[in-house]
Amino acid sequence: MTTPARARLLDALRAAVGADALLCRAEELFVYECDGLTHHAARPFAVVLPRTSDEVVEIVRACAKAGVPFVPRGAGTGLSGGAVALADGVVIECARMNRVLEIDPVDRVAVVQPGVVNADLSKVAAPHGLHFAPDPSSQLACTIGGNVAENSGGPHTLKYGSTTAHVLALELVLADGDRVRIGSRAGGEPGYDLVGAVVGGEGTLGVVTEATLRLTPLPEAVETLLGIFPDVVSACHAVGAVIRSGLVPAALEIVDRRTIEAVEASVYAAGLPLDAGAVLIAELDGPAVALPRQVERVRALCARAGATRIEVARDADERQRFWKARKGAFGAMGRLAPDLYVHDAVVPRSKLPEVLAEICAIGDRHGLRLSNVFHAGDGNLHPNISFDRRDADEMARVLAAGTEILELCVRAGGVISGEHGIGTEKQDFMPLLFSPDDLGAMRRLRDAFDPDHRSNPGKIFPTTRACVESNPKARGYERVSFDA
Amino acid sequence: MSAPVVASGAPPARVLEPRDAQSLSEAVRELGSRGEAALVRGAGTELPEGNLPARADVVLSTLALRGIETLDADEGVARVAAGTPVEALRDAAREVGLDVPLDPPSARSTIGGALAAAAQGPRSLGFGRARDAVLGLDVVLGSGERTRCGGRVVKNVTGYDLAKLYVGSLGTLAVLTHAWLRLRPVPEMTQVLIAVVSDGSASFEAALTAARLPGASAVALVDAPLAAEAGPFLPEAGEGRLVLIAELAADEPVVAAGATQLAASVGAERASEDAVALLRSIEGSRGEPRFADTLRFRVTSRAARLEAAYGVLRRAGAHVVVHPGLGLLAARFHVDPDAGTERIDACFAAANASAKAGEGSARLVAGPAAARAGRDVFGPEPEPRAILSRLRASFDPKRVLNPGIMAGRIA
Repeated sequence: MTTPARARLLDALRAAVGADALLCRAEELFVYECDGLTHHAARPFAVVLPRTSDEVVEIVRACAKAGVPFVPRGAGTGLSGGAVALADGVVIECARMNRVLEIDPVDRVAVVQPGVVNADLSKVAAPHGLHFAPDPSSQLACTIGGNVAENSGGPHTLKYGSTTAHVLALELVLADGDRVRIGSRAGGEPGYDLVGAVVGGEGTLGVVTEATLRLTPLPEAVETLLGIFPDVVSACHAVGAVIRSGLVPAALEIVDRRTIEAVEASVYAAGLPLDAGAVLIAELDGPAVALPRQVERVRALCARAGATRIEVARDADERQRFWKARKGAFGAMGRLAPDLYVHDAVVPRSKLPEVLAEICAIGDRHGLRLSNVFHAGDGNLHPNISFDRRDADEMARVLAAGTEILELCVRAGGVISGEHGIGTEKQDFMPLLFSPDDLGAMRRLRDAFDPDHRSNPGKIFPTTRACVESNPKARGYERVSFDA
Repeated sequence: MSAPVVASGAPPARVLEPRDAQSLSEAVRELGSRGEAALVRGAGTELPEGNLPARADVVLSTLALRGIETLDADEGVARVAAGTPVEALRDAAREVGLDVPLDPPSARSTIGGALAAAAQGPRSLGFGRARDAVLGLDVVLGSGERTRCGGRVVKNVTGYDLAKLYVGSLGTLAVLTHAWLRLRPVPEMTQVLIAVVSDGSASFEAALTAARLPGASAVALVDAPLAAEAGPFLPEAGEGRLVLIAELAADEPVVAAGATQLAASVGAERASEDAVALLRSIEGSRGEPRFADTLRFRVTSRAARLEAAYGVLRRAGAHVVVHPGLGLLAARFHVDPDAGTERIDACFAAANASAKAGEGSARLVAGPAAARAGRDVFGPEPEPRAILSRLRASFDPKRVLNPGIMAGRIA
């Protein structure tokens, strides 16, 4: 962009949102260079903080006029580089669009702006006996807009489904500035399921400015078990047995030994035995009359799989303690190294034992500090690699191991993302799963919404030469080569 | 099964029944190159869905794509060819303690048809939406390419969720050839409960409460004349009364607790009949000739507006089954075969007025060709028209697949 063109765009953005909602100085933009995937970074041209959907329309129109791309952003907790503005784009930071517009306890519906924090929505719904079921680990910070963009999951996705199962309707500002409403509160609207297509669209199909969400009743009762296992493989066998038994737990989470060590050495210490090979957190919820028998069944299945000890939380405090180990894991990793790469892949649950053993072997082979804390019930793995990105050699080994892990999961019948999205992180791994024609079908969807590729360009689809050239230093490391 | 009808009046004489996905892909390309259009069908049980095709030179049948390729009981998933009847998969799944969370209108309905139509039935309350049962799809695009989306795992955000787009698209973007489906465990126990209730607000509230009981798998309110059609299997309701049918499917203590609660709130009694079979016979399988003199609409409504939507339909003379947990009303209007267009227009107007009261939408789901000709059975123009049209144009640029049947009669 020429200097006068830049000045014109800044003027237009300032006119759209006001001077107090425009960030354009280098020191202001610095914090918007990356999301939770810290080794993928690019500085945006500007950041705007709209308060209303009208302002979003004005911003998008200004970008369209200037031929500049834009990226919607929530709390920046994403882990696949989705909220990074490539190609000198404008970040539309939705934090000020944080109003809950309506809670309807009869319809069990909430209407919210995209910047509402996930956990805050459940807090507002709680007096009505309701909650928003998707519960990413970042739920104290992450926003509904981000959840919609990434089709976020969480531990309780096992029973309640990912975000897509909880979105009824959306207001969306398209890349040309048109504002459309898709879906409906009552359901059954004519035409294609555009809501289903936009959820998980990673912000490439427009900016969500309002969401109508399904709220879920709070369960009458909750029981949480903590199974201590000699190794992670036997914990995986317990998970397989529970799934096969026909039980539908609310959550089945595994924390491996390396994670336990990190957690117990941190402020998140939950009193887990340091000699445990792995712990399984199994949560059951539903009508109080149903749970005692289900608890006994899970206990028996864990024992048969080799659990050395099984505790059942006696009260809410103890339940919190069990979950502390799980939810504090990422924080605890901060003690191990300056950077943490949280991987995300899914395999059939029956393949968990062998895949997990191989993942640990990959980490060892590359001399990396790799640990696992994951949504075992869904087969959703999160191998975490602690590293220091300033160490070029270690960085290269981290990336090499990541490639091997994804290839392993695909070979096992799995996929390369269960809840974090593709973003810039995995775009070049898409050919592991999809043929050019498969990706071509996805491009048709993209083009129907955003023919000029102005909404969050450079994500999801494998990179082209042009893309790399326009953004050579953005990644701060050599591109991983990928042979399909 | 009556022959398919098109807007021009002449049903296609030629039937193509490709044996595999590759031949289907070649057939679609060939049709495209000749500028011909296909009426895509499985068993044909969902054919009354949608508008009359603008053109159909051949019937493109998926019935030869048949078979359960994988039934993984450990994982609770199955891969199945699109022409396989849902009931065939259900029978196989039941043998390993699993069920297929799809509830299409007929025992003959195929997997492909149920997904393409996003079929909903009474048991959708417990099963969830058709789209949520789908893990991955293999399809042939309207432009002929064989592509796939999703996968076999139960959680997946790898790329766009194109399966959502294909489910409910009535075969206008792609022909489904195979699906990975999520199965679900068969509940320990199933119990039907029936009560006669008054035609008033308290009953609608009670029915909604019933639909939200843990384990509720199907709940419906049936008006008295329709209930009478079920003969001796339902109690006589009498004028101004409704029959509440509730099916609970869950662990035994949950079913027992629900039954106790329904007995106390509305005097519901345990019944031995299969409530869903009863509901089907009352609502009628759509292709049946005995319903040739009826127009049937599906109206959606917010939970809080169900009674208002119901009232509009009843005052217009329709008979109604309300599915409170689904926010759905199935309405049936009697229309004399020789009735003029005014009568048909009046039925559409009543269905649309009901949808307005419910803040939902209405669509004609079955009726004679005369009622569909020249009308959009989906009601008002769908939004956003530009995106819907662009999707259609890019997935099926030569308009091979079911042209004109989608909402808005998009070509």
